[in-house]
Amino acid sequence: MPDAVQFIQSLVNGVGVGLIYGLVGIGFCVIYNASGIVNFAQGVFVMLGGMACEVLLRKFHLPLPIAFLIAVPFVALVGLLMEVLVVRPMWNRGSPLFAIILATLATQIMIERITILTVDEQPHTFQEFTLGGPLKIGAIAIPYQLFWIVGCGALMVGLLWLFFTRTRAGRALRACSQNREAAALLGIPVGAMLLLSFALSAALGAVAGILVTPMQAIAFNSGTPFGVSGFIAAIIGGFGNAAGALAGGILLGVLQAVAIVLLGAGFKNVAALTALLFVLFLFPSGLFAGLKPKAH
Amino acid sequence: MISRVSTSTDRPWRALLPVAVVLGVMAFGLTSSGYVVTVIGFAAIYGIFCTGLNFFMGYTGQASFGQNAFAALGGYGTAILCGNHYWDPLAAFLVSMVFAGLVAYLVGLPTLKLRGHYLAMATFALGLITYEISIEWNGLTQGYMGISGIPPLGVWKFELANEKQMLVALTLLMLLGVWISVRLRDSRFGRALRAIAGSEPAARALGIDVARYKLAAFVIAALYASAAGSLFAHFVGFISPEVFGAAMVIQSFTMLFLGGIGTTWGPIVGAIMVLMLPEFLRGLKELQDVVYSMALIALLIFAPKGLAGLGSLFARRPKAPVPTPSGAPARAIAK
Repeated sequence: MPDAVQFIQSLVNGVGVGLIYGLVGIGFCVIYNASGIVNFAQGVFVMLGGMACEVLLRKFHLPLPIAFLIAVPFVALVGLLMEVLVVRPMWNRGSPLFAIILATLATQIMIERITILTVDEQPHTFQEFTLGGPLKIGAIAIPYQLFWIVGCGALMVGLLWLFFTRTRAGRALRACSQNREAAALLGIPVGAMLLLSFALSAALGAVAGILVTPMQAIAFNSGTPFGVSGFIAAIIGGFGNAAGALAGGILLGVLQAVAIVLLGAGFKNVAALTALLFVLFLFPSGLFAGLKPKAH
Repeated sequence: MISRVSTSTDRPWRALLPVAVVLGVMAFGLTSSGYVVTVIGFAAIYGIFCTGLNFFMGYTGQASFGQNAFAALGGYGTAILCGNHYWDPLAAFLVSMVFAGLVAYLVGLPTLKLRGHYLAMATFALGLITYEISIEWNGLTQGYMGISGIPPLGVWKFELANEKQMLVALTLLMLLGVWISVRLRDSRFGRALRAIAGSEPAARALGIDVARYKLAAFVIAALYASAAGSLFAHFVGFISPEVFGAAMVIQSFTMLFLGGIGTTWGPIVGAIMVLMLPEFLRGLKELQDVVYSMALIALLIFAPKGLAGLGSLFARRPKAPVPTPSGAPARAIAK
């Protein structure tokens, strides 16, 4: 039986990873709210962010802030391209929902394979943003990276909140999420909003990826677990609810950490996926349902 | 798509042509050597898998992104029972199928109540869970290493000694699978499935027990998938988690959409064409999955009916789908 220290330690790690899931979950919500589409390739943005940053650091010896500032817009650009080349044409043709989901899934596989061809199949990591650590509180170790994750996570959520409440574009996006036809009638360029939502969501994923890479090595196929976990986080939070997604992410991260202690690291994804199924079956509109029911 | 389905009575040549083509491809396989035989064998296996998938997606208009889970059950069932416990292949084949069908039934009960994105994600999760378990349950599946030394297909004392005999068996099994699917499609059961694809409320109003029929279609798809998995294990003699990974989902969907979803022969034609593709793209082996994904995306955008849609170019002009400004999310596939 694991002792208390081990348990608390895993909770600390769980919160860190959970925040990452929360960020990915918010990414799902941003696109879903703007378009009604769930982008199954969301996890690939996390992988791309971490991978791009790692390549910039390793091959070009750039300092981390510069690598960060190049990697995030790069992934946002990939998000834009995905919207323009894959989602938009299907949207315009009125393709069925499942076809769009399938196309985003195919895009994910395609990006993964291209990553194998251009980088390699190996997992990659880079050092923590602040060297040294971990911070010791009694027997519990808190890696410095965790503070970066919490700090950047809070910053991102704060910026998003400002964006959605204080800027014209953010308000327009929210209008689209409430009623697309009405928004269009009010002169909001719904198409441009869709484009914006993909770029924003990809950038969010990229930041999450860069934050998490020092703690968990990223390989070409690391995207799927993050994508699925982010989706679970979004569902727990009641799809489309950003704050709920963040809370859902932390809950899921902690659950996974507990599962690792009890079952061993190998089965953490099985635990997360099983949790997904249970949430879907039992709470299809999220654990915090009633705030903004949007299940279908 | 429903309107295009022609029963075998109104145009006999239409029904027989695909059989002739399949037999022709098989004959071509028998006269050629090594690699071509393997490719055509795979085409037959994937053809069986896609025929099952077609039941659930094409006829019933539902979506499952996790059929690879049931192929894995079949594959590992056969590998473990035949490879480790020296069972008779036929017995292992049937027991795996029953097991996969049972799992599909139990899992389908809650899962199929979901719709839209949730159904898609839940089924996708099924595939991922199976994949993760097949990696992690080392004692049973030997993890990443996979299971090798699976004996070839056979019944009692008869064992299919070489690849060509295997190819004949696979083709016959595939034709049997297609024949069963045609019989089911044209039955009362199949008509109920197509009614559900058309409109669930309407189907319910006609007295169709929608949940039960969906579940039945799901179980049938799982049975086909399990059979395909078992045959794969026998044909290759080796399986690993990667065989039944997410790439398999994309590959099988490419086949289904290329051949034409909701048609009888579409899955088979698609399987043959998709597996022949790398043959014509030699040197592009590395790019294979990239090409598959791009082909699938292009198909989904420009030709969601696949090759089956080509026929309608020459026949009577079908009604063009009316584009809706609000986008699709709410409609089911294969209307």
